[in-house]
Amino acid sequence: MKEKLTPAPPRWASRLLQWYCAPHLLEEVQGDLQEEFNYQLKYKGIHSARFDYVRSVLGFMKPFAIKRKSKHTHTSHSSLSMTMIKHYLVIALRNVIRHKAFSAINIVGLALGMTCCTFIFLWIQDERGIDNFHVNGDRLFAVYRTVTAKDRVAADYNVTMLYDTVRGRYFAFDDAKEVIPEVIGVNYYATGYELPWGHPETLQVGETIHKLKGARAGADFFTMFTYSVIAGDAKTALNDFSGMAISRKTATLYFSSPQEAIGKNMRYENKFDFVVNAVFEDIPANSTLQFDFLVNWESHVKRLEIASPKTLAVLQLAEGADPKQVEEKLNRLISSRFDKNATFKETVGLQPYRDRYLISNFVNGKPDGGRIEYINIFIGIAVFILLIACINFMNLSTARSVKRSKEVGVRKVIGSSRASLIGQFFGESILLSCFALILSIALFYLFLPGFNAFTGKQIAMSLSLPSSWVNLIILLLFTGIVAGSYPALFLSGLKPVGILKGALKFTNSSIWFRKGLAVFQFVISIALLIATFVMTEQTNFIQNSHLGYDRENMIYVAIEGELSNEAGYKRFKNELLKMPCITMIDRASEAPHAMSFIVDVAEDGKSETADDSDAIKWEGKEQGAVAGFKPMSVGYDFLSIMGLKVAEGRGFSRSYVTDSSAFMINEEAVKQMGMKDPIGKWVSAWSKKGHIIGILKDYNTNSLHEPIKPLIIDVKEYEYFGVILIKYGPGKTKEALASIEKVYKENNPKFGFAYQFLDEEYNKMYRSEAVVTKLSNAFAILAIIISCLGLLGLVMFSAEQRTKEFGIRKVLGATVTNIVALLSQDFFKLVLISFCIAAPLAGYFMYQWLQSFAYKIELSWWIFAISGCLALLIALLTICFQAIQSATANPVKALKVE
Amino acid sequence: MKRMYLGEFEEIVLLFVALLEGEAYGVNITHEIIRQTDRAVRLNQVHASLQRLEEKGMITSRMGEPTPERGGRRKRMFTITAYGRQTLHDIQALRSNIWSMLPSSIKTSEA
Repeated sequence: MKEKLTPAPPRWASRLLQWYCAPHLLEEVQGDLQEEFNYQLKYKGIHSARFDYVRSVLGFMKPFAIKRKSKHTHTSHSSLSMTMIKHYLVIALRNVIRHKAFSAINIVGLALGMTCCTFIFLWIQDERGIDNFHVNGDRLFAVYRTVTAKDRVAADYNVTMLYDTVRGRYFAFDDAKEVIPEVIGVNYYATGYELPWGHPETLQVGETIHKLKGARAGADFFTMFTYSVIAGDAKTALNDFSGMAISRKTATLYFSSPQEAIGKNMRYENKFDFVVNAVFEDIPANSTLQFDFLVNWESHVKRLEIASPKTLAVLQLAEGADPKQVEEKLNRLISSRFDKNATFKETVGLQPYRDRYLISNFVNGKPDGGRIEYINIFIGIAVFILLIACINFMNLSTARSVKRSKEVGVRKVIGSSRASLIGQFFGESILLSCFALILSIALFYLFLPGFNAFTGKQIAMSLSLPSSWVNLIILLLFTGIVAGSYPALFLSGLKPVGILKGALKFTNSSIWFRKGLAVFQFVISIALLIATFVMTEQTNFIQNSHLGYDRENMIYVAIEGELSNEAGYKRFKNELLKMPCITMIDRASEAPHAMSFIVDVAEDGKSETADDSDAIKWEGKEQGAVAGFKPMSVGYDFLSIMGLKVAEGRGFSRSYVTDSSAFMINEEAVKQMGMKDPIGKWVSAWSKKGHIIGILKDYNTNSLHEPIKPLIIDVKEYEYFGVILIKYGPGKTKEALASIEKVYKENNPKFGFAYQFLDEEYNKMYRSEAVVTKLSNAFAILAIIISCLGLLGLVMFSAEQRTKEFGIRKVLGATVTNIVALLSQDFFKLVLISFCIAAPLAGYFMYQWLQSFAYKIELSWWIFAISGCLALLIALLTICFQAIQSATANPVKALKVE
Repeated sequence: MKRMYLGEFEEIVLLFVALLEGEAYGVNITHEIIRQTDRAVRLNQVHASLQRLEEKGMITSRMGEPTPERGGRRKRMFTITAYGRQTLHDIQALRSNIWSMLPSSIKTSEA
């Protein structure tokens, strides 16, 4: 074999071998491997030889090859040699095992912190993933409109519909794609099931009838958004007037397979037929647009009923286009189309579509805040909880440094460098973090189902993915390094002479630092506790406060099909009233818990209707006065079915013939209209003029985030849209549902039966607050537990240090109470100081949070008092747990040993 | 004293050290085992066994001459010790003893 330039084995493998292999074996092993490599090279080729080499190198990683001969130990000076690592490991493990209680406190604390971090991280990842899966994601922009009027600014995701004689009704920037070169796609989207008037729509094929959540979208929908299409052509699916696309779920409900569905007709609301052009995969949970079927946009504009006056517009820009410039061009385009003399100014803005979920609030007409705030809060909480756990570790290890100081002294005398000591202590903290990580993975899988249940997400962490491991290892290193930083620097800096001569004296500053850390922990814990109290109270307040109407035992169904004509509705109502469990039935034009339709909106400065006849006018209305009214038309029994109170005048009554043209308004309306003695004054709305017969006491017509708006109600016994409210006897839910379903099926056979409970729908509006409250409850408890673990550790240590002192005290006649008090007071003071810092801090932040509600609880002193007492009590119990143990110990035992 | 326990693979390695007297070193033994027994043997397994055999005192080793195909590194040459030889004898004796006691039906059918 003379080929000197033959390929060599992989260099990293050789290096690895050189590093781990015991020096006395290295030469022969290297030689054998090299020889084998050349042999393989000759007979099997380079790849096989290299592969074989690597396999052998890894195969040699066995104790026999790694173990050093004892006489070689001193030759290695590297602090990272195998022997030293082994030695550190042994020392660390011995320390862990000898101080079982301290190690347990450290590991459990770190594990809880890490588990909490993992959960929060995955939750955030999930939140950020929402609407973030579209291939064109970075070029999709949602359009929001900003309306400025009389120095008030309002914004929302909507497109203004305009009218002119040439075009008829059209959306403000319908032609953006043709006019602005950077815009390559314009898409409108609106659902058919959203409030105020929406409901799941009925689709029928043959005898199969189901109610499904439908939406309407423009032709570009499937080319702009990434929803995978499993049958048919996505690009043309919504092109024609009667085109529709359905989900896999919908397809399987009606047809044998998705392919089978293509080209078939579906009867929509028993009115129109749509042709299925495409079948798409069921919409993933991380999409904010949710729909079971999609129909053509033209149909929406020209013939379908509109669920909500809001239309979402999304633009797709060309590669590299600047959204700012496009925004300007859009505004130039639409400004010519608005009335120059209008009292308000309307502009549009572009927001990256993927941000719309997290940043959905508007401040000064620009997107700002929203769910992103919760994300930031939770990032904060995660970091703080992990910090609390790390501080436990720091405090316990520095406190115990008296015990370790001799070791450090001896090491230094023998010649250990400071760097290697630091390395040793970091290594120890990382080792403990490793244990904690293993425990936290177990905890994670234990709590995962519960976590998913109450956040309503499907979060999972797959340990087979390298990315989860990368994250876990980052978490591990972060925890290990933060937790180990102070002990490592502190212990390694000790002076060997001092240590070896006598006992280690802590300097004042280091004692203060430790106390400071403990205070910091408790400040965070108490602040979280207060926050939790406030949030829980506020959520309870929202869910239980009297809204001014009854929402128990109430079901509502949408008015549609046969029910939308007078005879059908009356028949349904009369038959249902005969059922024993039904107490009352009436109708309303909107679901009463979430009325979102507003006319003549003054504060937004925009008018919903172009011509003036629909506007609301009243006796003595001043020029230019405006008030945004929530309009509603209801049946005669609406007031009694809802349990609404009349403040002045009287409610609607069948015994007055004139009541069909009468109005009722609420107190807020009176205030905003500026009326005095409103009863009997005339009001005109929807080209109908009538007198005010009564004033309703204010009640909440929408979520409590929103202040009460002026309300105007008139009587219409039947109308083709809205909801039927059905009140049933308490505890009769089952019977009521059965009879409603029976009567419904008989009277409206072409439509599927769907219903909502008023109280459930009401609670749904506060879902995100409820989730956040539950999460923060859990985290506050966790923080307190971890902090108390740390406190327990400190007390244990302090008790251990003072064993002799307590022994002598007891011999001289001290009582158990004396000793418990002696041991407790130091720590008790710390908790007290923490409370003093935490209370104003938490108070400030919670005050800010409460500002987002129109109806909120007071930040009363008892919330602070209770949280403070609770924290003190828990801390005291923790302290006493240990203090009593050492106080009742036999003094003989304490004094016997020297 | 009872004879030292030998694993099946160790026994084979020991046999080959004896067989290759004077030429016994890692690669050589490995190749020879593969050639003669048709087993998939890896270098590190052979090394581990040699290590154990040496600890048990059945073989001794000395460093040989460097060769070019080893990148100028020396071989460790193994030789069987008297103790190792004795162990092999004992095993063989035990085997043939038990073998002779087997009923002739098994012996012939095996043959």
